[in-house]
Amino acid sequence: MSVKYIYEKHLIDRQAEAEEAMLKEFEAGNYTIQNPLVKYNLYEVSPLSAVICFETKTETPVTVTVLGKTKEANIGHTFPKAKKHVLPVVGLYSNYANKVEIRAYRGESNVITIDVPDVYNGENPIYHMHTTPEYLQDNVIMVSPAGLQLSSAFDYAGDARWHMNVACVFDIKRLKNGNLIMGTHRLLKMPYYMSGLYEISPCGKIYKEFRLPGGYHHDEFEMEDGNLLVLTDDLESETVEDMCVLIDRNTGEILKTWDYKKFLNPETVSHSGSWSEEDWFHNNAVWYDKHTNSLTFSGRHIDSMVNIDFDSGELNWIIGDPAGWPQDMVDKYFFKPIGSNFGWQYEQHANVITPNGDVMCFDNHHYGCKQVDRETKNLAAKDNYSRGVRYRINTEDMTIEQVWEYGKDRGAEFFSPYICNVEYYNEGHYMVHSGGIAYDKDGNPSEALGAFVKDVGGTCRSITVEVCDGKVMLDLEVPGNYYRAEKLKLYSDGINLELGKGQVLGKMGHTKEFDTEIPMENSGEMLPDSCNARIEEEIDRFTFFSRFEKGQMVMMLLEQGDEVHRYYISTTAVSYLAMCCGTFLDSDERNTRTSVNKAGLKGVYDVRVIVDDKKYETGIKITCE
Amino acid sequence: MLKEVNSTEFKELADKGLVLADFFSTTCGPCKMLGFVLKDVEKEFGDDLTILKVDFDQNKELTAEYGVAGYPTLILLKDGTEVKRLQGLQQKPVIVKMVKENI
Repeated sequence: MSVKYIYEKHLIDRQAEAEEAMLKEFEAGNYTIQNPLVKYNLYEVSPLSAVICFETKTETPVTVTVLGKTKEANIGHTFPKAKKHVLPVVGLYSNYANKVEIRAYRGESNVITIDVPDVYNGENPIYHMHTTPEYLQDNVIMVSPAGLQLSSAFDYAGDARWHMNVACVFDIKRLKNGNLIMGTHRLLKMPYYMSGLYEISPCGKIYKEFRLPGGYHHDEFEMEDGNLLVLTDDLESETVEDMCVLIDRNTGEILKTWDYKKFLNPETVSHSGSWSEEDWFHNNAVWYDKHTNSLTFSGRHIDSMVNIDFDSGELNWIIGDPAGWPQDMVDKYFFKPIGSNFGWQYEQHANVITPNGDVMCFDNHHYGCKQVDRETKNLAAKDNYSRGVRYRINTEDMTIEQVWEYGKDRGAEFFSPYICNVEYYNEGHYMVHSGGIAYDKDGNPSEALGAFVKDVGGTCRSITVEVCDGKVMLDLEVPGNYYRAEKLKLYSDGINLELGKGQVLGKMGHTKEFDTEIPMENSGEMLPDSCNARIEEEIDRFTFFSRFEKGQMVMMLLEQGDEVHRYYISTTAVSYLAMCCGTFLDSDERNTRTSVNKAGLKGVYDVRVIVDDKKYETGIKITCE
Repeated sequence: MLKEVNSTEFKELADKGLVLADFFSTTCGPCKMLGFVLKDVEKEFGDDLTILKVDFDQNKELTAEYGVAGYPTLILLKDGTEVKRLQGLQQKPVIVKMVKENI
């Protein structure tokens, strides 16, 4: 058996072909409101959606409504007037014969049936949703992956009304134009560095992929002018998760870069309990404040939220426990707590600046103290808590006051050692999402990160709460861990579906190579079947999947005459102190995946693999243009 | 110079000059890869650097004495005193930079 080979067309290309085929079929047929053309999950990735096409005799607006299991659960939208209608249907139920009403404005109507299979394969995606239709209305709570469960969205009744069947991970936000922005499903580098971002419709249509040389992780933010702040990496650096870029929304070009090593010294920061030399900052959020023209970054591994000037990159202030920081930094950048009931945040996520300048975050409160204090102040999961918290800062006298919190009183049941977010809707109206809750096999609260809990027989869950003036208005609990939650409507007042092929923007970076040669002649033998190897090639990269035994020395080579590119493949299990998205971890530690970008390569390369003392053929050639 | 040593030889050689200790295991893929890297590093520095390879599993006392918890672990010693430590597989430029900063 030779090494398997698959060429995967870009999802944007596949979607364009499907859309073109649908439009041809629409043109060739006679489709009306009474007899529409229905394409279930046209764009492949949104299995609780469809697209319908029909003509009306005159230009008319049309309302499409997915009829809910109760009237309050209807999800619908009125589309602008047209004669030829190509309309997205979102909000379908899983495992259900959905009834969808199509109604011309003051005109005819029809109810069609769209059958949807069980997209959850028999698994129940929810424990409960406690809220009212009066409160949630036709909004849904959308949750994004941190583990094996992929994105879903739930209505007031707790029914899933949206789901993705590909692993688009990290943050999901609604853009001003109505589209969604989220991580791509193209993994660049383990454990979770993605190729970039998708600008995508809830019906699954990808309008743009923004590729980034350093990939994407954790968070992005839309500026007023539409450009995007994106958390990224320098994949050639010895450190990770300490860089942000501003990209042009139209071209994907990088307009500005912030390297956090320029305003903080990694050797003098005060460590959180999860700190490592490589992942010294662990940036999980970015927020732009137009009132101060500043950026606020959340650094989990320094237990701090850090604010810098947008233009100069100069450090303005740091919110966090000052223990362990150099005194000159404490004097200059840190705040002094005032007021009663104050507590610092630890290993926080998702900072938000409120309209009046307050700073909110999800305080995971992991360890309950800085690394320097762990001997005396460490809090185990069972004794700990997580909370949403709001601080009021005064940058004139450098004081800080805690003005709101939710979750502390719930104790360990609401404790998440990683991930999570808060949202600000209005004064007194917030979301607090504790998405990383875990229990060990005996049912005790665990601080194991979700991806590792299952390995020891434990369980995970996620709790999302919306609080209005101190009253819980919504309580969603689901199995599994989810990175963030977002409340939104599936239809927007902006773009719902625009036709035409999507764009692949930006650039991939050069994949870091290993510069030490292993002198070895080709054996001429094929890579053994036991490696179960395959190569998946795409237009701009390829991924080598294979299985090796622990302790083997493995290197993949791309060879073209005398030109050689080397990629070391580790066969050692890695202990992670941070695993904000365990979606791509393999349950079999022997399995490896190595992705190489074609950027910087030109020509046709033979793929060969060294395993210990032998150099094997794969029989695969990769073409780079 | 690059050689594999036992605990006794290590103590004889490690207290003078610039010494890079590589604590490794024969069961470890990254350790095997690091072996090739260190051969390149040896060519770079010649006699200015002594590279001593210590089998983690065969020299438990020495490993414990140096507080080595995992492998590979590189410890740079200057006249017997530790000046820098790196854990995990490293590429040549990182090791060269560390050594040059301490020559």
